[in-house]
Amino acid sequence: MNKTINQKAWYFVIPVFVLVAFNAAIPLMTVVNYSFQETFGNNVFAWEGTRWFKQILLSERFHASLGRQFAFTFIILLIQIPLGIAIALTMPKKGWGVPVCLILMSMPLLIPWNVVGAMWNIFALPDIGFLGHSLNAMGFDYNFTQQPGDAWLTTILMDVWHWTSLVVLLSYAGLNSIQPAYYQAAEIDGASRWATFRYIELPKMKKVLTLAILLRFMDSFMIYTEPFVLTGGGPGNTTAFLSIDLVKMALGQFDLGPAAAMSLIYFFIVLLVCWVFYNLMMKNEAQS
Amino acid sequence: MFTKLYAATWGEVGKAKEKGFFDFDLFSWMAWTWQTAAFFIFIALCITVMLIWEKKVPGGSPRKGILGLDTTRGDRLFVSLLGSAFIHLAWLGLVGSLLWIASIICVAYFIVVFKYV
Repeated sequence: MNKTINQKAWYFVIPVFVLVAFNAAIPLMTVVNYSFQETFGNNVFAWEGTRWFKQILLSERFHASLGRQFAFTFIILLIQIPLGIAIALTMPKKGWGVPVCLILMSMPLLIPWNVVGAMWNIFALPDIGFLGHSLNAMGFDYNFTQQPGDAWLTTILMDVWHWTSLVVLLSYAGLNSIQPAYYQAAEIDGASRWATFRYIELPKMKKVLTLAILLRFMDSFMIYTEPFVLTGGGPGNTTAFLSIDLVKMALGQFDLGPAAAMSLIYFFIVLLVCWVFYNLMMKNEAQS
Repeated sequence: MFTKLYAATWGEVGKAKEKGFFDFDLFSWMAWTWQTAAFFIFIALCITVMLIWEKKVPGGSPRKGILGLDTTRGDRLFVSLLGSAFIHLAWLGLVGSLLWIASIICVAYFIVVFKYV
């Protein structure tokens, strides 16, 4: 029997196409247009060529915020991934503990970013906040609004509190998908706890962990709201990560041209990292 | 809405200009220039060429390239375009002038990627 060829289903794609055009393609094109021009508002533009790109690439301010961004992302990955795996390993596999742990773990994930920022801001205030006041009462000189080190510590703590659960839930799902036969075989061979983890659990979790690292990398690399509410990028510029610096440049100073150039460079870095992780995931997929 | 538009060079900033044929209110806020328009037309052309290529030789000619990655034509186009962006940025940051040399390097890079990656 001849199959009738009917490609009319493609018309169903049109709404998505229009949506993507309006919320992604057209704004992105406008950013590209802005990045080559100078404007003082009122739709007056003047051609500047590649000047903004050169300026951003050579600007110490951009290097500093990019450095801070990579440092922040690296530190939180270094904490959250091992911590997440460790928590997932200690979580119960059956019984009433499972739903309790899962719900407790997913709570921080459900809280909106600005609420997390506000919570931690109040929690860490040196005079009235529980954390800040207690630390000072114990004799630590802690003030996240004035000391850069404390601001960093608080921002990292906040991110760890907010997002470690994601790594935990992903790792837990990965652990649960391991067949009991593997553990039985390990027990018969007399494998130590470490060997079981290293040669059974970790390889089996590879896929979800790649995903966890990608998600955590992207979210922390594009972090804006939480540090904005917590520290506002301060004290000084010490916690002004890329997004915060970008918004300061675009909306605070109304330097639309340089800000557009900076966001394009930012976008290219994100694209590159995404591509690397995508290929890693595809490789994992091909192996299993 | 905007009966008068303003010119796009420093010498003419602030001088009113007659509304041209292509100055639609619909997208005059997008601040188009012919250079950026040419860039996006180039991207659109690339995608069109890929479409035609796919019609002629279906399947995307997948292979394992020198990076050890399974790539199709679409992957190669992506790698070429993203790589070109970084080549141009690196040139701007390190050399600063004569950007067209970077563009020539990119053409070579395109060919290498499409042949070997």
